Amino acid sequence: MTTTAGDRSDLLDKLGLKEQNRATIGRLLATGNVGQATERANGTMQATIRINPDELCWDPSVLVLPHGGDLELELINDDLNTHCALLPNNGDRKFIWLVNHSRGRATLNLDGPGYYWFSSPTGNDEGRGLTGAIVVLGEVPPEARLDRPEQPRP
Amino acid sequence: MTVEYVDAGEAVNQATLNYKTPGAEVAPPVVADVTYERIRNAASEPHNWLTYYGTYNGQRFSPLDQINTENVKHLRPAWIFQAGTTGMIAGASTYSFEAAPIVVDGVMFVAGWDGWVWALDAKTGVEIWRYKHAIPYDVSLCCGNVNRGVAVAQGKVFFVTANAHVIALDATNGKRVWDKTYGDVRAGESATCAPLVVKDMVIVGSSGGEFGVRGHLDAFDVESGEHRWRCYMVPKPGEPGSETWPADGEAWARGGANCWLTGTFDPETNLLYWGTGNPAPDFDGEVREGDNLYTDSIVAVDADSGQIQWHYQCTPHDLWDYDSIAECILFESKGRKLLGHFDKNGYFFVVDRTNGELVQITPFVDRITWGAITRDGQVTAKVYPEKEGDPVHFYPGPAGAKEWTHAAYSPRTELFYVPVQDTGATATRRRREFKESIPYWGAGVQVDIDDMAGSISAFDADGEEKWRYRNDLPMCASVLATGGDLVFAGKPSGEFVALDASTGEQLWQFQCGSGHHSSPTTFSVDGKQYVAVPVGWGGWAEGFLPGMLGAGHGSALIAFALPEESS
Repeated sequence: MTTTAGDRSDLLDKLGLKEQNRATIGRLLATGNVGQATERANGTMQATIRINPDELCWDPSVLVLPHGGDLELELINDDLNTHCALLPNNGDRKFIWLVNHSRGRATLNLDGPGYYWFSSPTGNDEGRGLTGAIVVLGEVPPEARLDRPEQPRP
Repeated sequence: MTVEYVDAGEAVNQATLNYKTPGAEVAPPVVADVTYERIRNAASEPHNWLTYYGTYNGQRFSPLDQINTENVKHLRPAWIFQAGTTGMIAGASTYSFEAAPIVVDGVMFVAGWDGWVWALDAKTGVEIWRYKHAIPYDVSLCCGNVNRGVAVAQGKVFFVTANAHVIALDATNGKRVWDKTYGDVRAGESATCAPLVVKDMVIVGSSGGEFGVRGHLDAFDVESGEHRWRCYMVPKPGEPGSETWPADGEAWARGGANCWLTGTFDPETNLLYWGTGNPAPDFDGEVREGDNLYTDSIVAVDADSGQIQWHYQCTPHDLWDYDSIAECILFESKGRKLLGHFDKNGYFFVVDRTNGELVQITPFVDRITWGAITRDGQVTAKVYPEKEGDPVHFYPGPAGAKEWTHAAYSPRTELFYVPVQDTGATATRRRREFKESIPYWGAGVQVDIDDMAGSISAFDADGEEKWRYRNDLPMCASVLATGGDLVFAGKPSGEFVALDASTGEQLWQFQCGSGHHSSPTTFSVDGKQYVAVPVGWGGWAEGFLPGMLGAGHGSALIAFALPEESS
């Protein structure tokens, strides 16, 4: 059995798991690219997420933020079909329609650390591949940490 | 040729896609003048349910009597609020609707799972506004994606999130006023309790007792969110109570004692009465020799200073996961200021709430095999996970003879009404190394899926059982007592029943379509009494009723009322 992390990308490709309707019917979740948001001098963050033609996958499908806070997100649908986005945000989730060849924006506020799913909640876009993750790095504020000696982590 | 993109614009709040009549997204300012004095005197305005238990004393009793033993048979749904769920949420298989709806002058405020808070028209069930906090998918949750409700005061709605924030919202529009982090999700902390507003403070406790954290209670300023005090429920070395932990090592630092449920308050003693959770690791006592204060205790905390004034430990050196987080019901009897507490360990404790002195102890469930407690409070452990790999069966199971869901007390009948779970479990000790954020149980545990029973049982303050309403399944939802001499209780199988408070006779029932694991409340609007119950099975079902793990989830809030001709 070949399952080491090093050849994961090759194995996904070999098994047909890097595109829709080859191995799976849709696109297996979390098999897309990983990207990082850029941080501005004022601490806000910026990133772009696209939907490439016929890939049914957010690009990146895993977006990594250096810390919690405000993210300005550009969303581009280069696909030849209409999709949308339901995005995590403190206050209320954000929704946007993304018709074919469209570009939109979302401003999100997220806590860190932890990760959040976002998706295209139309038809079964979510199951067919258009479910992605936003990962927020970092620690909770010092005042929220337990008063105890440093403890081991996994 | 380059084709310009279509401008999709800016993403909008999802709530704007839930049509409302223009202006209907703003609630009247009913919370603006909800003060400490009003909450303290909540019993004088029974049309409202102003605080988690209805009143500071935790009795879950309303004097409302429009719905009574004579006409309750006509009770029917007035409205249903359905929240549902979209997208991938934390605990997608364990979310549950567990809140106690708060009502202020015709507006209901209720928290759901996964960071939801709604303001509803209490007369129609129509959503006024919603707040949705983004909850990390990977937050550590021992017992499901759940929340027990909100608090209100001075124009704000307060609630906690699964990633251990306490948040104040503007009660008119649901916008965030302040937001404070009070727990460490990387350490396995979370939050599930309904806040309690006392004076000018919001009091909240931490969750995470299954992850080896150090439980605490925190107070924040109502207006600014400024942190006032923190009370740790496991002492550091050298502090009072530290002698009940091993002198060497760091067992205390992982000791548990989380305050994951709401406490009660007596303005005359100025004491908060808070139950604390299990020690960690739950079932492996060898790594934490001693009584392990203040785990599994009723703790009296000075409301102003956050200092512990006295404690009563219900299960010293717990080896069965017998949290004492259950409510501390304040009542008076024979001229004494007392506190009643139904513990997971199967015993009903009554103590003097001025000093913690034991008044009486009585078992309230038929099967107790873990050990015994004598009338004078002496505890003897009998059956517990002791040898590595050796399965041990005991009653009650780790969800307890009563889980977190609440008993009620009627000053009219002077009876306590307790939801009882008579279920056992098998635990096999399996020692593991401690690492932050990884469950720290020290055992493999399987709760029985057969040979179980439940009841709503009525006890007087002396511990004498007056009646018992039997059920084939354990009773896993909070009880509500009313001035109509009714006791309302929800079943895991979906029925919501009304019992005669004097006899236990069932007078009415309605099948709600999903199991009950919440806290019903009652209120009135324009002279009409309603009984509201969140319905949505889930949570730690593998702990309190694994025989119903396959039951459907729900996400409804149902308000019942009498038809016009019957009220």
